[in-house]
Amino acid sequence: MTAHKKHLNYSFYPGCSLHASGREYDISTRAAFKALNVGLKEVPEWFCCGATPAHNVDELLSLSLCAKNLSLAEKVEGDLAVACAACFSRLKTTQHHLKQDDNKRKLVEIAIDGPTPLGKPVKHILEILARDLGLPHLEESVKKPLAGLKVACYYGCLLTRPPGVPELDDCEDPRIMEDILRALGAEPVQWSHRMECCGANFTLSRPGVVLMLSGAILESAQLAGADCIMVACPLCHSNLDVRQQGIEEKSSSAYDTPIFYITQLVALAMGVPSDKLGFESVIVDPRPLLKQKTLL
Amino acid sequence: MKNKLMHLSNETMNLSFVKKVEALSGSSVRRCFQCGKCSAGCPMSAFMEHPPNRVVRLLQLGQGERVLAGRSIWYCASCETCTTRCPNKVDLAAIMDALRKLSWDADGPSKESYVQLANRLFIENIRTYGRQYELRLGAAFNMKSGQFLKDLMLGPKLLSKGKLKMFHSKNKNIAEIEGIFRRIEEMRKKGEAL
Repeated sequence: MTAHKKHLNYSFYPGCSLHASGREYDISTRAAFKALNVGLKEVPEWFCCGATPAHNVDELLSLSLCAKNLSLAEKVEGDLAVACAACFSRLKTTQHHLKQDDNKRKLVEIAIDGPTPLGKPVKHILEILARDLGLPHLEESVKKPLAGLKVACYYGCLLTRPPGVPELDDCEDPRIMEDILRALGAEPVQWSHRMECCGANFTLSRPGVVLMLSGAILESAQLAGADCIMVACPLCHSNLDVRQQGIEEKSSSAYDTPIFYITQLVALAMGVPSDKLGFESVIVDPRPLLKQKTLL
Repeated sequence: MKNKLMHLSNETMNLSFVKKVEALSGSSVRRCFQCGKCSAGCPMSAFMEHPPNRVVRLLQLGQGERVLAGRSIWYCASCETCTTRCPNKVDLAAIMDALRKLSWDADGPSKESYVQLANRLFIENIRTYGRQYELRLGAAFNMKSGQFLKDLMLGPKLLSKGKLKMFHSKNKNIAEIEGIFRRIEEMRKKGEAL
């Protein structure tokens, strides 16, 4: 085991879900980064990014909320780490539009009554793990390889689309999750639904949509022989985990498929005790699967 | 309206609406040649009366009102698959945003009220609390949509798992959020904002 030479430090925008329904994503992100000796400092008094509802009906509001958060993030050193796929997408989209469109930028500066700093790189934690820290280092840091765990890596919509905006990986055929999982010793499966939509925020307005779309994702993962699904978005997690029982009842299927956050699996492989990863907060308990694979 | 024969003439085609959509979205509507790739990949097209490619065709024909009156734009999940796959670089996801904004601002007729209600409550939450307060969001949605029993069993389960917070504290700098909302409203009144 070689010691990691450079010490990485990031500012951190958790977003609303990580402070509530996605609390285990927050807990496990902090645990994984601590285990990897990567600094993470939360941006003080951040606001909601506006997510999908804001840009759906009011682009200026969406851009202004994100620009405000980007300016708050300037107060903390280090590139801005984001865990939620939706917050990541909105912050990157805002940087993208404001860099290209002076008129929008002027309007946003009036709205937030201040300048719009756009220089700080916004990074999803996947790219921090795979690129800043690097796959070789990740692999070297593994204390408990996730051997025998067959994982369906689920990207969903906002991590990679549209072209030229998130710039995380290829829009249609990304590899970053699978690469990280292999470094952890797990086995990513090939499956059909890794880029399909889970139904997103229709979970509030039209849950039937989520039952249908997320049901197809669970079905596909099961057909591919996956033990579990790994996500990097709190809304995807909630739709696949919290709504799973509803999906099973509607389609008379049995999935019992645990949904992991990427950071839960990273932290587990880094030797973080399993009671520090928020497993008690999820609906489909992953602990029986982990025991069966002798990972607990 | 959907099945009525469409007569196209200067009187029945609203082409200035298309220009508005193009200006707001920053995307060409006219470049679409109807290959249908957007609708083929759209996860939500099964829920729409006009799938994405037909929305664009209706716009090209100056039939924006037909689009706004339906539910299609509110059933778009903003997954960006259409934009990603369009061979002509038509940014359909941005066009959907522009259409929703035009519908929202005009408070016009639409068949889909639940999605609009959810959006409104979500944005109200930001203005009031600075962040999302999920318990209030769910409870207010059930009250205002009249679906008092929706997801009734889910609430207590999520509370017991620590996934829902009973109380929510406001941001210390909540006044700054109110300022953003207010300044955008003022710009709109003066016709200066998007």
